[in-house]
Amino acid sequence: MIEKAPSTARLLVTNFVRNTTGMIGLFIVFLIVTSSIFAVQISGYEPTLMDGSVASLPPSTTHLMGTDQLGQDVFSRVLYGGRNSVLIGVLASFLGNFIGTVFGAIAGYVGGKFDTILIRLSELVMTFPQLVLVLIFVTFLGQGVTNVIFIFAITGWMTTFRLVRSEFLSLREEAFVEADRAFGFSKKRIIFRHLLPNTMSPIVVAFTINTAIYIIAEAGLSFLGLGVPVTTPTWGNLLAAAQAPVVVEQYWWLWVFPALAIIVFVTGVNFIGDGLRDVLDPRQRTRSNTTSFKSAIKEKILGSREKKA
Amino acid sequence: MIPMALAISAIIFFASRLSPIDPLNSLISPDAAADPTNLAILRERLGFNDPIFVQYFNWLIEMFKGNFGYSIQTGQPISEILALRMPATLELILSALVISTTLALAIGLFAGANRGGITDKFSRGLAAVGIAVPDFFIGLALLNILAYRLNWLPTGQRLSPGQITLWDRLPHLILPVATLSIAMLAVLIRYTRNSVLDTLNRDFVKTARSKGLPEWKVMWSHVFRNSLGPVMVILAFRLPLLVGGSVLVETVFQWPGIGSTVVAAVTVSDFPVIMVISLLIATAILIASFLVDIVKSILDPRVRLGATTE
Repeated sequence: MIEKAPSTARLLVTNFVRNTTGMIGLFIVFLIVTSSIFAVQISGYEPTLMDGSVASLPPSTTHLMGTDQLGQDVFSRVLYGGRNSVLIGVLASFLGNFIGTVFGAIAGYVGGKFDTILIRLSELVMTFPQLVLVLIFVTFLGQGVTNVIFIFAITGWMTTFRLVRSEFLSLREEAFVEADRAFGFSKKRIIFRHLLPNTMSPIVVAFTINTAIYIIAEAGLSFLGLGVPVTTPTWGNLLAAAQAPVVVEQYWWLWVFPALAIIVFVTGVNFIGDGLRDVLDPRQRTRSNTTSFKSAIKEKILGSREKKA
Repeated sequence: MIPMALAISAIIFFASRLSPIDPLNSLISPDAAADPTNLAILRERLGFNDPIFVQYFNWLIEMFKGNFGYSIQTGQPISEILALRMPATLELILSALVISTTLALAIGLFAGANRGGITDKFSRGLAAVGIAVPDFFIGLALLNILAYRLNWLPTGQRLSPGQITLWDRLPHLILPVATLSIAMLAVLIRYTRNSVLDTLNRDFVKTARSKGLPEWKVMWSHVFRNSLGPVMVILAFRLPLLVGGSVLVETVFQWPGIGSTVVAAVTVSDFPVIMVISLLIATAILIASFLVDIVKSILDPRVRLGATTE
C-alpha cells in the first residue's frame, strides 16, 4: 500500500510549529486572549467593582497593578479591556482585508476603468492621515464599537487592495488562467476559485499586520476620548485616564500597564505575522526556521548575527 | 496633484452639505444670524438657492481667497483660528521631520555600513519594539520621567506665562518633538539601513573600491546618495502618519496646534472647522509629496517628474 503524502495544510501547520518566532507570538497572543476571557477568575476582582476604600493605590500583592480613582482593580480592567481591544482589532482587520481583497481581485483581473477608479480612490484615501480621516468619520457616524470597526475598515483597506491587485496582475498572465479561460469558466469562478487561493498567503500576513495596527489605532482614538464609549473598557479607554496631568504625574500604573498590554500583544501578533510569512512565502524566507528559542529572541531584538558583507 | 486636490475638495464640500448643520450658520457671523428675515436675504445673496455645482465652485473660490467661514462652537472666523494654531503645529512637525530624518539617515547609514555592529543591533531592536509602541505612550513616559520626576523640562503648553523669546520656547519644544521623532525613527532607520545594504551590493560600489577610493568617500558620494531614493519614497508615505501622530502628541502635551483643534472640534461636532482643517491637511500633504518628488528627481536624474506616479 502506498503511503499518502501529507496535505499542504498539514505541511504548513508542521512548518509553523517548527517556526520559533511564530510559536512565541502564538503563545503570547493565546495567553493574553485566554486571560482576558477569564479576567475575573485570574485577577479575583470584577472589572467594574468600585471600592472607595482602596482608591488610587499603587501596585501591591492584593492589587497587582494597583487601583484607579474609583477603587477599581487595574489588573482586572486591563485583562477585561483586552476582550474589546482584540475584538476590534481582529474584526476591523478582517473587514478591511475583505474589502481590499474583493476590490483588489476585481481591479487586478478585470482592469480597465474599474481599476483606474479604484486606484485613484485608494490614493485619495491614502492622502489623508488615517487618524484625521477616522476623526472625520467619527463626527458623522458617532462613537461605538461597531462604528469604530467599520470606520477602521473603510479607512484601512488600501494596503491589502494594492497587494492583491499586484498579485492578480501577475497571476492573470499565468498559463493555468489561460487554460481556465479556454475551458470557458466564468470570470467570477476564475477570480474566486482559481486566483484567490493563490494570493491567500500575502492576505493572511496583511491580516495579522493590520490587526496590530488597528489595536494601536484604537488605543490612540480612545485616548483622545473619541473611540469606543467610556463605558466599554478597552486598552485605549484605560489609557485615556492619562489625559489628566495628575494621572501622568502620580498614578503611573493607570497608563503604564494598559500600554504594556498593548505593546506585548502587538509584538505577539507581529511575531505571528513574521512566522506566517516564513511559512507561507518561501521566497521571502531568510534563514532556516528551526532556530532555538533563545537565538530567535536574540535575533528579533539584537538583529541577526551575519558576517560582515 | 491638481485633480486630486479637486476631488478631495469636492468630497469635503459635499460631505459638509450632508452634515446636519445649516451651512449658512458657518458662513456668517453669529450676530448677523440672529434675525430670520436677514437670514432669508442672505441665503439668496450667498447663493444657497443656486444649483449645487455652482455652489461648489463659489465655495472653492472663497476657500482660495481665505474666507473659511465661522466656527459653530465659538463663532470665531476659522481663518483666525488657523492663524493662531497653524504656526504651533508647523513648528512641531517640521522640527520632528528634520530631526528624525537627519538622525535616521545618520544612524541608518552607520548601521548599514557596519552590519552586525552595535549600531546595527540597536537600530534593529528599535525597529522591532518601535512598531509595537503607541506613539503617545512614548510621550507619556517622557513626560512622567523628564518633566515630572526629574523636573528638567516643562510639562506641556507652548509657552509659560511671561516668556516670549525663542530661547524660552525651546524647552517646551523638546519633549513633543522628541516624541514625534522617536515614533518616526524606528521605521525610517530600518528603511535607510536596508537601502544602504542594497546599494553596498551594487557593482558601482565595487568599482569605486577597486579604484582605491578611501572608504569614507565610497560611503559618502556613492552609497549614501544612491540609498536616498527609496528612503524618500518612504518619507513621503510617512508624512500623513506624522500629521496623525501630531494630533495625539499635541493632546498629550496640551500643545495649542491644529491637532488639538481638530480633536476639540470633533468632540463638539464643529463641522465647518473639521472640513476646513481636513482640506488644509490634504492640500499640505499633496504639496509635500510633490516636493518629495522634486527632491527625488534632483537626487536621481533618471526619475523624471510625472513618471514617478503609477
